[in-house]
Amino acid sequence: MRHLHVYILLAVAVLALAYAPRVNPYWMHVAIIAMFYGILASSWSLLAGYAGLFSLGHMAFASIGGYASALLVQWYGIPIPLGMAAGVALCCALGGLIGWVCLRMSGPYLAIFTLGFAEIVRITFSTEDDITAGMAGLHTEPLFRAATRLPYFYTAFGLLVVSLALMGAIVQSRWGLFLRAIREDEQAAAASGIDVARFRILAFAIASGFAGLAGGFYGHYIGILTPSLGGLDLMAVLVVMAVIGGMERLPTAVGGAFAVEFLLELLREYGQWRLPIFGVILLLTMRFARNGLLTPFWLHFVRLGGGARGAAAVVAPGRKDSRA
Amino acid sequence: MSENGILIEGSRVTKRFGGITANDGVDFAVAEGDLVGLIGPNGSGKTTLINVLTGHLTPDGGKVILRGRQVSGKPAHIYAATGVARTFQLTQLFGRMTVLENLMVPGLTRPRSSAHEVARRARACLEFLNLAHLEQLYAKNLSGGQQKLLELGRCLMLDPAILFLDEPFAGVHPHLRDELIKRIEELHRAGRTFVVVDHDMESILRISRRLVVMARGRKIADGPPEAVRTDQAVLAAYAGL
Repeated sequence: MRHLHVYILLAVAVLALAYAPRVNPYWMHVAIIAMFYGILASSWSLLAGYAGLFSLGHMAFASIGGYASALLVQWYGIPIPLGMAAGVALCCALGGLIGWVCLRMSGPYLAIFTLGFAEIVRITFSTEDDITAGMAGLHTEPLFRAATRLPYFYTAFGLLVVSLALMGAIVQSRWGLFLRAIREDEQAAAASGIDVARFRILAFAIASGFAGLAGGFYGHYIGILTPSLGGLDLMAVLVVMAVIGGMERLPTAVGGAFAVEFLLELLREYGQWRLPIFGVILLLTMRFARNGLLTPFWLHFVRLGGGARGAAAVVAPGRKDSRA
Repeated sequence: MSENGILIEGSRVTKRFGGITANDGVDFAVAEGDLVGLIGPNGSGKTTLINVLTGHLTPDGGKVILRGRQVSGKPAHIYAATGVARTFQLTQLFGRMTVLENLMVPGLTRPRSSAHEVARRARACLEFLNLAHLEQLYAKNLSGGQQKLLELGRCLMLDPAILFLDEPFAGVHPHLRDELIKRIEELHRAGRTFVVVDHDMESILRISRRLVVMARGRKIADGPPEAVRTDQAVLAAYAGL
């Protein structure tokens, strides 16, 4: 059946939303955090997987979005959604600026530059404790004053769906094609007429904006923000999620975030050993399945609906077999 | 195009890399409809000149004039948008994108291009290059010769006024080389302007209407192939004198 995979996804989403009120608070919290990571992993996939810009500063933008929203709400008493929107705008602007500064960098140089940026952000938030409360943590206004986590679950779900829809529209358009061309060969992309600088800056701005959105939600959900949100530890977890799932496709990156977050909880009885287990999975993925463990399953799933390979819709209009 | 028929012109082009002067005040002009062969020993500055004339390098001295307007220092995508296309010495395709996607990319950079129209043009281009049956294959999986053809196709999707081909025949099977030559000649007859750099003298002499020779960063000869072949400076450069 044509678009069968879309109908299956819709059915699963409806079931998840209908079943949510029956989920116990612990697993609901895990699901909410998984969706928070889902937004981060998919936006990092847009940057690193599609555009080939391997940034280690993505969690720093989540942190900036979180602090910006929390502080604006605290100082000016603005509505939380407005604070989150301001955090997104700030992250877009800062992301674009970082993209512009490191226009000529790629590979390890870009990774080290963005890691340096993330550390500057983390240390600034740690030391400016008059403003951020430092390592003691900044208490934030809750998004909902409800007895259950259900409103947060629905909000996280909505944010994830909207984020995926927007990023999906980008990667399926000519912009997505241009980003992949830049990833493959910047010089050839420029020779093909692509304004490489503009698209690199755009990729940074867009991905950072979504990171800021996730960070804003997280801050107003958890109720406290610490500088460790933007640290290398969580960045490493994010990379593991996207790489294990498959960083060159948004759905597989989200799948990786869900799989790792739920497995981390299921393997709690192994204590700290669960982390080396994921390290080994990451190594095996890089060695034997560089497109991610979930990518083959996703491609089979997409083929149920008549798609193939996962090419952008803009690539072969009018051809049934090359859409995904 | 400028009044004297010159499509692109490098005037007193100088480019240095550290202590090495790769291009030393080179004057190089191409008229519309020309098919110029650019030859010279290794390290003579041919690829550097192409990089300057296509916006991939900014000259340290001199200027590049495209259709009568100075464009030196502008980024490569502006050159591409103005009708300057190029291939690379070592083929540079979008390896993990399909053959069709490789052609769609330049097509979609054109203003007001529609995906349907670009896809139609891309498929026509693949037919022309005998690559239609490989449309869904990743570019990295093509043979060396097919990759050169695809790179030519990528240039054509820009609907360029001039094509710079950097060593298009290097490492290509003779059968595919003949195919490539046939396509270049067909396109030239249809009005395209070409500058072809290569070490394959037989192929260059077969297609060129004009031959330019470089040595040690300078242009040492420029004229009809039959005259350049017997030029003493050229013979000396190739003999290493």
